Amino acid sequence: MRRGWLPLALLLACPAAGGQDRGPGPGPDEADDWTDEWSAEPAVGSPWSGFIEIAGGSRFEEDPQVGRRGTLADLRTRLERDWRVEQATASLKADGLYDAIDQEFDLVLREAALAFSPGSRIDVKAGRQVLTWGTGDLLFLNDLFPKDFVSFFAGREDEYLKAPSDTVRLTAWSDIVNLDFAWTPLFEPDDYLTGERFSFFSPAAGRLVAPEPPLGADLPTRSLDNGEFALRLFTTRRGVEYALYGYRGFFKQPSDFRDPAGPGFAPLSALGGSLRRPLAGGLWNAEVSYYFSRDDRAGADPAVPNDQLRLLSGYEREWFANFTVGFQYYLEWTGDHGELIANSPWPQFEPEERRQLATLRVSWRTRQDALRWSLFAFWSPTDHDYHLRPALTWRHSDAWTFTAGANLFGGQDLDTFFGQLEDNQNAYLRVRRHF
Amino acid sequence: MNARIACLLLVATTTAGAETLTDAAAIVDRANLAAYYAGADGRSEARMIIRDAQGREQRRQFTVLRRNVTPGGDQDFLVVFSQPADVRGTVYLVKKHLERDDDRWLYLPGLDLIKRIAAGDKRTSFVGAHYFYEDVSGRRPRDDSHELVETTAEHYVLRHVPLDKASVEFASYVTWIDRNTFLPMKIEYTDEAGKAYRRVEVLAVEDFQGHPTVTRSRVSDLTGGGHTDMELRFIGYDLGLPVEVFTERSLRTPPREWLRRPGD
Repeated sequence: MRRGWLPLALLLACPAAGGQDRGPGPGPDEADDWTDEWSAEPAVGSPWSGFIEIAGGSRFEEDPQVGRRGTLADLRTRLERDWRVEQATASLKADGLYDAIDQEFDLVLREAALAFSPGSRIDVKAGRQVLTWGTGDLLFLNDLFPKDFVSFFAGREDEYLKAPSDTVRLTAWSDIVNLDFAWTPLFEPDDYLTGERFSFFSPAAGRLVAPEPPLGADLPTRSLDNGEFALRLFTTRRGVEYALYGYRGFFKQPSDFRDPAGPGFAPLSALGGSLRRPLAGGLWNAEVSYYFSRDDRAGADPAVPNDQLRLLSGYEREWFANFTVGFQYYLEWTGDHGELIANSPWPQFEPEERRQLATLRVSWRTRQDALRWSLFAFWSPTDHDYHLRPALTWRHSDAWTFTAGANLFGGQDLDTFFGQLEDNQNAYLRVRRHF
Repeated sequence: MNARIACLLLVATTTAGAETLTDAAAIVDRANLAAYYAGADGRSEARMIIRDAQGREQRRQFTVLRRNVTPGGDQDFLVVFSQPADVRGTVYLVKKHLERDDDRWLYLPGLDLIKRIAAGDKRTSFVGAHYFYEDVSGRRPRDDSHELVETTAEHYVLRHVPLDKASVEFASYVTWIDRNTFLPMKIEYTDEAGKAYRRVEVLAVEDFQGHPTVTRSRVSDLTGGGHTDMELRFIGYDLGLPVEVFTERSLRTPPREWLRRPGD
């Protein structure tokens, strides 16, 4: 941790990084004297912007499997910019990241894409980009774009839960229904738990592990057929949002254990739909998705996931000014569960037939949004485990933001999704300066 | 527009305002049209300085596009943020309806997330300012009962009481409406105890294409302290904004052509 905090001291000492804001700016009560220039561009065609961030996080005790306490030690610089090239827009969001946990420097491209409109009602965005759809809050059914669970559990900014992919996205707009088509030629998996930063439960070992070398799964062979195809048909009618989804690709986490040489990703197709509408002053959403495990439709092969039906319903409402509460109920119904149990080498560790999850989000914004209190809680009544994410964000000025939070995990058993993370409980602090 | 027509329109507005109105509902309807419905559509660039009770400052800069679906009726708004860095690219879309709750969405570019905003949150801070979401797109006149309290040389003074008390934080509010322009020049919100706790005031009005337009205003928190100043520039009306500008498409891909400053 000491190593992680040194750059912060340097950052704070640096005069260029100090101060409240750019420009001369008026004094505290001189509205008449608003002398600084309006920024040259209204809302598009921007210059460079970005931030410098330092983030540190630690377990409360050393994890005996991983053998250390540190969970987060990032020094990150973000640079963003758009360019207008003829009728197209090129966009770049790049992070220069020194990660002191992995002890490596990385250039992470969050976005490097070209957007253009080949027709009056068609938009294309091609290149590295982050994609999101669906109605869940931190629960994803039809959104099979890559997630970064390592960042999510380590306490990085929420944005990093969504990992970028190299995708061509085509959106066609019409008065009746709109169509989104996203083609990712090379399968992009989640950033899953490998044992490098966080330990996890291994059913083969029957205990928590942090394998050395870290868990790695083989990507599908490169071919046109092994790309990812995601489709969405969507429309809004009288304030109600309807959507239908389709996906053809692979399970996003290591899921194919047929090859003794190492795990891979099992083929997946999915179909689903969602609805979101205002209800009693709040918002109600429902989403369903059916996962077809293409290599194990009968569910008898324990080395490949079974089909699953996923259901979600949620309601969110502001209870009083700036205080919002949201609930979700989620069900994962594994098909042919009897077959799975009958064939599994470790039936005691297989998921429940109907895994259920409830979530609660509470957020409270005070002091003109400068202070934001939030809690997100996952709790499973079938797995008997939980994950709590309290956080406090202080937006000191338009330039400086401080965030403190924790990732708490626990459960009755070590083999459940959140229960396995018990030794990875952590608290973190982030300081970000925008420019 | 040529100066003579602008002048005639101004005279017309002034003359229309010269007769003394006595019907509270008629005054409110005129004020609603003057404040929110000028032209068939419009654009402006806004910037806000938000000052909290401790004197700390935040700034926001954004472009607003508006289109009247029907005169005095449904409206569409698109708000595209350009400053500060952490809200840049955020886009807010409102479909304002008279017959049902407004539909509102916020696009967060970092997550590529289109967030729906519940109708119940209308009296919630707009991006941290002392302005509420409802101040941006306007409150429906039929949500309150209106009473003309006083007619002074310059203003109609009205008192308004909400019909659904549970949906708002105020017990009543008083507006000072300019007798010539029908722009509400000051609004004071009062709590159950009868104490004024929030004030909206107009600091400057300018004429654009014959429409008297608020160019500077302030919202003050009278109990907690702190206020937000808003300044509007690069104002234009009757641009011919197409209906497609106010759809989900503009959240991910802001309509560059229509966000450009007039004359640019």
